[in-house]
Amino acid sequence: MLVKRSYLMIILLLVLGMALVACGGDAPAAEEPAAEEPAAEEPMAEEPAAEADGDCASEEVLCVGLVTDVGEIDDKSFNQSAWEGAKRAEAELGAKVDFIETKDAKDYAANIALFAENDYDVIVTVGFAMGEATAIAAGEYPDIDFIGVDQFQAWMFDDDTANDFTNLAGLIFPEDKSGFMAGALAGMLSETGTIAAVLGTDLVPPVVAFKEGYEAGAAYVNPDINFISTYHPGGMDVAFVDPEWGASTAKQAIDQGADVVFGAGGKTGNGALIEVASNEGVFCIGVDTDQWETVPEAHPCLVSSAMKLITPGVFDLIKASQDGAFPAGNFLGEVGLAPFHDLDSQVSDEIKAKLEEIDAGLRDGSIETGYNPGG
Amino acid sequence: MSDQTVEEGNGRSSGWLQRIWNTTSVPVGAVLLAALIGAAILAISGANPLDAYAALIKGSFGDSAAFGRTLEKATPLVFSGLAVAFAFKAGLFNIGAQGQLLVGAIVAAYVGFSIEGLPAIIHAPLALIAGAAAGALYGAFPGALKTYTGANEVITTIMLNYVAINLTDFLADGPWKDLTPGNVVARTPKIMDSAAIPFIGDIPVGFLIAILMAVVTWWLLWKTTIGFEIRTVGLNPHGAQYAGIKVAFTVILTMTLSGLLAGMGGAIETQGIVGRFQPGFNANLGFDGITVALLGKTHPFGVIPAALLIGAMKAGSSQMQFSADVAKEITDVIMAFILFFVAADMIIRWILRSRAEGEKITLSSGWGS
Repeated sequence: MLVKRSYLMIILLLVLGMALVACGGDAPAAEEPAAEEPAAEEPMAEEPAAEADGDCASEEVLCVGLVTDVGEIDDKSFNQSAWEGAKRAEAELGAKVDFIETKDAKDYAANIALFAENDYDVIVTVGFAMGEATAIAAGEYPDIDFIGVDQFQAWMFDDDTANDFTNLAGLIFPEDKSGFMAGALAGMLSETGTIAAVLGTDLVPPVVAFKEGYEAGAAYVNPDINFISTYHPGGMDVAFVDPEWGASTAKQAIDQGADVVFGAGGKTGNGALIEVASNEGVFCIGVDTDQWETVPEAHPCLVSSAMKLITPGVFDLIKASQDGAFPAGNFLGEVGLAPFHDLDSQVSDEIKAKLEEIDAGLRDGSIETGYNPGG
Repeated sequence: MSDQTVEEGNGRSSGWLQRIWNTTSVPVGAVLLAALIGAAILAISGANPLDAYAALIKGSFGDSAAFGRTLEKATPLVFSGLAVAFAFKAGLFNIGAQGQLLVGAIVAAYVGFSIEGLPAIIHAPLALIAGAAAGALYGAFPGALKTYTGANEVITTIMLNYVAINLTDFLADGPWKDLTPGNVVARTPKIMDSAAIPFIGDIPVGFLIAILMAVVTWWLLWKTTIGFEIRTVGLNPHGAQYAGIKVAFTVILTMTLSGLLAGMGGAIETQGIVGRFQPGFNANLGFDGITVALLGKTHPFGVIPAALLIGAMKAGSSQMQFSADVAKEITDVIMAFILFFVAADMIIRWILRSRAEGEKITLSSGWGS
């Protein structure tokens, strides 16, 4: 047994010896303590090479760093939309932009600090969950402007002025208005008089806002309409990543007569959209971004999406920072309905005119969604 | 320098050197091979591997804050690695370290936020002990199931991970939820300052506790009767039974202590790093313990460098993304290859030994050798 084991060692050593030119010498020279570092063969002289971007420290160069929530930069949703806003700043404002994808929720602060320590001028953090880390960083680095996507700034509303920021803006959206438009569209499209919403968890205020706005919008155009609105029953960890539940819930609603389904809840909502696509004569409405681009499987039913326009919001805030007019506090982004794409012919001019009227009404305040998060 | 060491070794203490060589060569080789493959992948994807690894080292050992971050990341891995390694010694494959760690983390958080007015000298250890005890109970359960019903601990511990995930989610979103105005996230309230485990400079005290526990584990395994019995059961349960060792008791005890180590890791993560329990913040810490244990050759002192290595990769991966534009997944790929090479070696050895000795060895006992 011992003999065979040492054969294995020799084979392994030979492979290593061939591979590692840097180690050189004969086989036993590879004897090293177990505390070997991953890349001990690296010449240390390489270290400074990675750090060639000292220009962020200069006044002229606008440097924008973006930290994603746990997830990918190309998630076709929040992270990507925000990143596109930064990219637009690169194209139009000549900014130098870079991003870090967060791998571990505990690293929010460290990832923000990485940009801050490298003299970035604007740091964008994406997602509600990063709000706390962003606020702490904003306090630590008063010379850097922070943009928190979907981060409601509660300090705006307390009497304590000690915790007020001049360098932190939360980009938030009136989801109820977006939902109101979607609901109005659904209410006008529905022939059965029953519409459905398949929703992520009610633990997340924007989801509740979408739902309340949706129902108010539908009732606005058709007071007799029926709703089948269902929140995912699970916790935060599953509510947005459960397409099977979304699909079965959508199916159930259709069986009960719903002919428009609003899917609002990440992958859970996407599951609902995809399920609806296989049902003749039923419309579906997406959420957050134009889901025509993100869920091609839903093309047969996807009439529109209740959008939060993250990209222009991020860009506007970056530009404001460059102009020295950074609006600290809560910055209300734009919302709206996505284009009707292939289903344009099924939306009558009458409906389109009514939607425009409602949009104008929501903007000038003559129409209210009735959603009041305080109450 | 290494040449000299070798000559000395040839001269006098070749047996001792041979032993060190036997235990360290495979993990070191696995790490180097994995780093090489990682370099190849980096090169193919268009990045400069030297820049990338330089950034990784800078982010994990570059300055004292970076080194502190490495220790922070390594601390829970030492515990989960010890938990898995310890169970291996009795021939048990504890895949439930994740669940035990979660239970320990949330119980420590509960003790940390619910009790007010205790001095730190009592409160912090109390929360730590409560977390460890919760982990121990959660580990004892599959041990008892194995002993009394014969249920394989691999299956039961995997299943109990899910129970733990959902149980902790429920608690963090229900009875123990943080009700601070404005909070919508599922998480417990922040623990009292008196329950926090502090830092000395950039060094987390939790890491020092981890080292201490590695020594205690080593002492228990090799310097006590109970440790001898555990190792004997691991080598051959039937032989152990014949020799008068209470195998049933030993199995339950081993799983209990294994769970205790994992639970303690969770508690320290709550008290030292996160400051509360929040679902998702402890993801994979227990599972990475399996990598750490295997890489550390299931020896308590091997677990420490293995945890430091994995911790360094976790700590440096953001810097690598930032400076070298490398996708964050590359560190996972390298870790997977490390595990692959270490495990592959053990499987090959196991096959060779089974053939050579013509005896039946269960896989998990074989891995513990």
